[in-house]
Amino acid sequence: MLVTGRIFALGTLIAIWIFALVSMMMAKKKLPSFRKLAGLDALPEMVGRAAETNKSVHFTTGGGGSLTDPVLPQLIAAMAVLGHVSELCAKYGVKVVYTVFLAEMMPIATEVMRAAYIKEGKADAFNAESQVIYMSGDQFAYSSAVQGYAERERPAANIMIGPFYAESQLFAETFFRVGSIQLAGTARGYQIPFFAVVCDYLLIAEEIYAAGAYLSKDPAQVGSIRGQDLGKALALILMILGLLATVAGSPFIVNLLKM
Amino acid sequence: MLSIAAVIVMADYFLKIPGTSAVVTDLQNWGVILSAFALGFGAVNLFYVHTRHISRRTPGQWPYSIWLLVMLVLFTVVGVSLRYTGPEYQWLYNSTLFALSATIYSSTGFYIASGCYRALKARNSEAAVLMIVGLIVLLKNAPALAVAAPVLVTMENWLSAVPTTSAQRGIMMGASLGAMALGIRTMIGRETGFLGRLTEAER
Repeated sequence: MLVTGRIFALGTLIAIWIFALVSMMMAKKKLPSFRKLAGLDALPEMVGRAAETNKSVHFTTGGGGSLTDPVLPQLIAAMAVLGHVSELCAKYGVKVVYTVFLAEMMPIATEVMRAAYIKEGKADAFNAESQVIYMSGDQFAYSSAVQGYAERERPAANIMIGPFYAESQLFAETFFRVGSIQLAGTARGYQIPFFAVVCDYLLIAEEIYAAGAYLSKDPAQVGSIRGQDLGKALALILMILGLLATVAGSPFIVNLLKM
Repeated sequence: MLSIAAVIVMADYFLKIPGTSAVVTDLQNWGVILSAFALGFGAVNLFYVHTRHISRRTPGQWPYSIWLLVMLVLFTVVGVSLRYTGPEYQWLYNSTLFALSATIYSSTGFYIASGCYRALKARNSEAAVLMIVGLIVLLKNAPALAVAAPVLVTMENWLSAVPTTSAQRGIMMGASLGAMALGIRTMIGRETGFLGRLTEAER
């Protein structure tokens, strides 16, 4: 019935489900404290700067991955940020442009942005054709198209959330050169240093997944982050036990993980 | 529906239940079909945006828009009529897109160099650590210096194997747990940001 080698993973998944659900219920009674994420707190400032300079805000989810890849959660997380940025842009009358790499993201992003404009009572201000622009499905064709966009439009702010690959440095440097204030976030470890060096604000790995909850301030969503932290504590306990057991010559924890 | 589909896919991964594999394969095939349709949307969007540039004679843009549409049509016609595995399509691909992609990829080196120049400044203690570590890695990768000072190789190997790997693993674990929490919120319908849903009042 159970697939061998995945039993422990299933048990861990169930434990994290329980942690998250219990934390979500508890959060309805008392909201847990949330570490400040400077990058997300800076979004109004970034959009405000675009409004002052009468320039646009550029949003990208990177030039890689597909909807069947393990990177999909990063795209889902990015859409929550796109929705919030679109709301801010609609509110302040700033044009936000999402340049598309994955064609599948086009209808999703269009709906997210349209909903944001409707929420702000400015449905007429949203023009999908000029704000959700499909560039290319090829990584470097997309990269050069976005760089060209940066050079021509010189957006006041550039927001990059999602699974980035080699284009991370191309984007970060180009937008830096044209004077855009930049927020970047990815869960792809190899690209984080590039963003850290060039961008003004950075969301590291799990922070992008928490973005939706952080921006919504919904107690249940915030509670799930507490559940995630309990999962992290569980992982740390397992690591320490594994270390001690291995030093003592016992393969118990290693065998447990292989179950 | 979303939650049901997610539960089926997860069950297929963890449990051996007769029939679920076929359902999961069907779900994945639907995904492929939807992606193909979405690609059509992308092509339509490209046509819409660039024909507008051409008709409005957007300064500095419209000649490139013509070129883009010509290439889009050419690739489609050659790929469909002569097959994309044929020598004509392969020649077209290798002579244009592949060469240009390689050029853009190569330019990453220059961007990394300028980023490196800015990063290697000891503005504070953290930047100083980054600078020292960066210099060790940089010098180790210069063959002559690595030969002259083998200690650089030892130091770089340790930096890569111990602090960098442990930090990467920490990031990976945090990201995995974050993705799981996002999945839980999505499956129980709390995280709807990516759907662009509106309440009745907002409509």
